[in-house]
Amino acid sequence: MSDNHNHTVIVARDLEDLIPVFLKNRHREVDTLRVALAAADFEQLRQLGHRMKGVGNSYGFETVSAIGKQIEDGARSGDRASLEASIAGYADYLSKVQVTYE
Amino acid sequence: MSDLAAAHRPAAAQAAFRVLVVDDDPDMVSFLGMLLALEDMKVESAYDGAAALARIAAAPPDLILLDVVMPGMSGFELCERLKSDPATALIPVVLVTALEDHASRVRGIDTGADDFLSKPVNREELIARVKNLRRLHQTRRELEGRRLAAEIQRKEAMRKTFARYISPRLADRIIAESGDAPFEAEAQRINVVALFADLRGFTRLTETLEVSRVVGMLNEYFAVITDAAYRHEGTIFSMAGDCLLVGFNVPFSQPDAALRAWRTAQAMIAGFSPVLARWTEQGGMSTGVGIGIASGEAIIGNIGSPHHMSYTIIGDAVNTAARLMQTAKAGEVLISGSAYEAVRESVPSGRAEARGDVALRGKCGVTAVYSIRV
Repeated sequence: MSDNHNHTVIVARDLEDLIPVFLKNRHREVDTLRVALAAADFEQLRQLGHRMKGVGNSYGFETVSAIGKQIEDGARSGDRASLEASIAGYADYLSKVQVTYE
Repeated sequence: MSDLAAAHRPAAAQAAFRVLVVDDDPDMVSFLGMLLALEDMKVESAYDGAAALARIAAAPPDLILLDVVMPGMSGFELCERLKSDPATALIPVVLVTALEDHASRVRGIDTGADDFLSKPVNREELIARVKNLRRLHQTRRELEGRRLAAEIQRKEAMRKTFARYISPRLADRIIAESGDAPFEAEAQRINVVALFADLRGFTRLTETLEVSRVVGMLNEYFAVITDAAYRHEGTIFSMAGDCLLVGFNVPFSQPDAALRAWRTAQAMIAGFSPVLARWTEQGGMSTGVGIGIASGEAIIGNIGSPHHMSYTIIGDAVNTAARLMQTAKAGEVLISGSAYEAVRESVPSGRAEARGDVALRGKCGVTAVYSIRV
């Protein structure tokens, strides 16, 4: 499983049934992240980032894990600007990502 | 694999390996569940520590994959609880964590976790680790199976030992309820009903019969009377010559001990009747079972030397029953007054005859005696 810069993710075929729900949950996650940032709830942001870091690349979405780590670190340091950029980047990534099954 | 082949697989291999995945992230639960199901494992899930504890209590899994960072009870706390409870301590726990720092790893080891798996999860690593734990689990199950088999063998040997004294049914009950405790207990004084049975005149007959024939006849006789004793849950204390001593209300309480003794006596005489008829037909032998029954105090315990111990009953009731048996005729039950009072209503009318107060040999005073013809 790998993720590349043209937003194409190759996922094992036996995980295919799980991917629609996985992506739906990622989109919801963006909304939750935005709400948490608006409320300056850094603890929730940290937890959400930590969760993204764990689950993303398990499915083969390396970028989700990478952005998750940025959010976790940003929440720890209370870096609003960084968090805003990470969340925007996450939303952009999800709008473009393509999945291929092998 | 065919059904036939499956039937010949070891039991441990046939039972589904059950994995409980505990994670607050439903996507992680689905992911891990899917991979494990592809390996023919049965997957259950819980989304927090409390739900996991409830599931584990209801049906302990064979393995737990446990997330560390969860709302409420953390994976560390849950692991600590599981490992400190003897009922769950042996369930392997794999901490699945995105925590990377050294302190978290050390904390995980401190909680007693059996293994670690990093998030994001690498599926090959996950499967390799879980399969390894499954192998260990199966080995442990096989060892446990062998231990249980050895335990069953030990109990069977114990049951056979007990069966020298008591009915197989009573032996099973003793083993099921209390191991060998009744026979290991300190000697004690209790009220018992003692029954002696003897083949009247048989000793004289043995002087004129061939040895092999004597042994065969004694075996036939003892088969009948021990069966009668066992059916009424009497405890056989000794078998010597053609004489059998059976105790009731020992080692377990039998409020109807006298009635059991009386019914045993009836069954012994009735059961021996066809055997006697055959013996008589074959050789014109004149014999029959004579029985003495008495109730009273006796001492029960393991008596003997370090080389030979015997579960023994001694006391006035035993002596009285022995004396009564010595004077009973073939087909007659001589019963002490106290025991007779307990069975009077069960004795068919006209069968009992009061013999009055009798001075029995070797005993001070007199004993009220009743004769019952069966």
